[in-house]
Amino acid sequence: MRAGGEPGGPGDGDVVRAVLAGDVEQYAILVRRYRDRYARFAARMLGSVDAAEDAVQDAFVRAYDQLGRCREPDNFVGWFFLILRNRCLAERRRTKITAELGSTMESAKETRADRRVERDEQRRTLAAAVAELTPEQREVFVLKHVEGWSYQEIAAYTGIPIDSLKMRMHRAYQRLRVRLRPVWDAKA
Amino acid sequence: MTLHPTIVRLLDGELSLADLPPELRADGERALAVMGLLDRAPVTLSGDLEARVMAAVRQRAASPARRFLRWWGNPQEVRIRVRPWLLGPALAVAVALVLLLGPRSGTTVATSSPATADSTLVRFVFHAPGAERVTLAGSFNDWSLEAAPLARTDGGVWTITVPLPAGQHEYAFVVDGRRWMPDPAAPTVDDGLGHRNSVMAVGSAGEASL
Repeated sequence: MRAGGEPGGPGDGDVVRAVLAGDVEQYAILVRRYRDRYARFAARMLGSVDAAEDAVQDAFVRAYDQLGRCREPDNFVGWFFLILRNRCLAERRRTKITAELGSTMESAKETRADRRVERDEQRRTLAAAVAELTPEQREVFVLKHVEGWSYQEIAAYTGIPIDSLKMRMHRAYQRLRVRLRPVWDAKA
Repeated sequence: MTLHPTIVRLLDGELSLADLPPELRADGERALAVMGLLDRAPVTLSGDLEARVMAAVRQRAASPARRFLRWWGNPQEVRIRVRPWLLGPALAVAVALVLLLGPRSGTTVATSSPATADSTLVRFVFHAPGAERVTLAGSFNDWSLEAAPLARTDGGVWTITVPLPAGQHEYAFVVDGRRWMPDPAAPTVDDGLGHRNSVMAVGSAGEASL
């Protein structure tokens, strides 16, 4: 979540200003620096690493197109996160994610012989359930429980009030609990 | 099947299992066990991502059309000055036009006045007689579906006035939380995903342009 760049390298603000001045090749520094930072977030939001890679690539290109509108060049990474996040939310609203995750409830019932296999199936069941959350619920759930951000951090980066974030999370928990009832019952 | 508030606080990390009353502890253990199934493994993207991004960037940098779009995207370039003393009559005329044009899926006008040194009040009017709820989502509120609900007035006209900082803003109206509608009265840009967002520019001295 920190801004500014890396020790020993040019700061993000310097790179952004150089690119805007016409040194397009400098943009590769930003791509190298941040290409993987939010890859996991994008993958969990979109349901696959392939989709995440497309989203990150599109976000970098879009960030370049709009670089003149980056109001805080020293915080390029925060601005880039918002572009990637909007890209993920827009795609989530317009597509139904089924790839890689699928419905695993039936297979979870069928195969219980091996504990490791069962656990793998439970993981897939949970992943499928997370994929069925609304984009807004999924965003706060992934940022908090996968990325490990606090509500304060999420609010600071997204501009969403903490109360709203907690409400979305509460609804996400409720939906997951309903969807995962067989798993919870199996563990009881 | 309501989740107990204490379990919610446990999942949020505000409480530990030891803080739970004995009758909720088993529930809490199961909830945490389910969360433990989450895949938190790092994701590394393919090695040629940088090359692909830079190829697209170089193409854009060399494209006259892209250079024009970048110029066009600069809010300093296209401005329509709105005189403060004209705001009232302009808004009245705009709303009257909206009403006279009859029921359509949506019509928007925007007028502006200086709010503070850093922002300008922009009024959005949207005609959607069949809608139960309309919100304004845009780059200025991180595309929130909840941050800017419009108020319904007579004739199915929905309005909201929001302070916007200087710069170019993309936005859309969200009808009943589902239908994303660009502003038919404003220019639009491709959102990169096959859909269009409306665009408006706010100048640094209380100017707004569609």
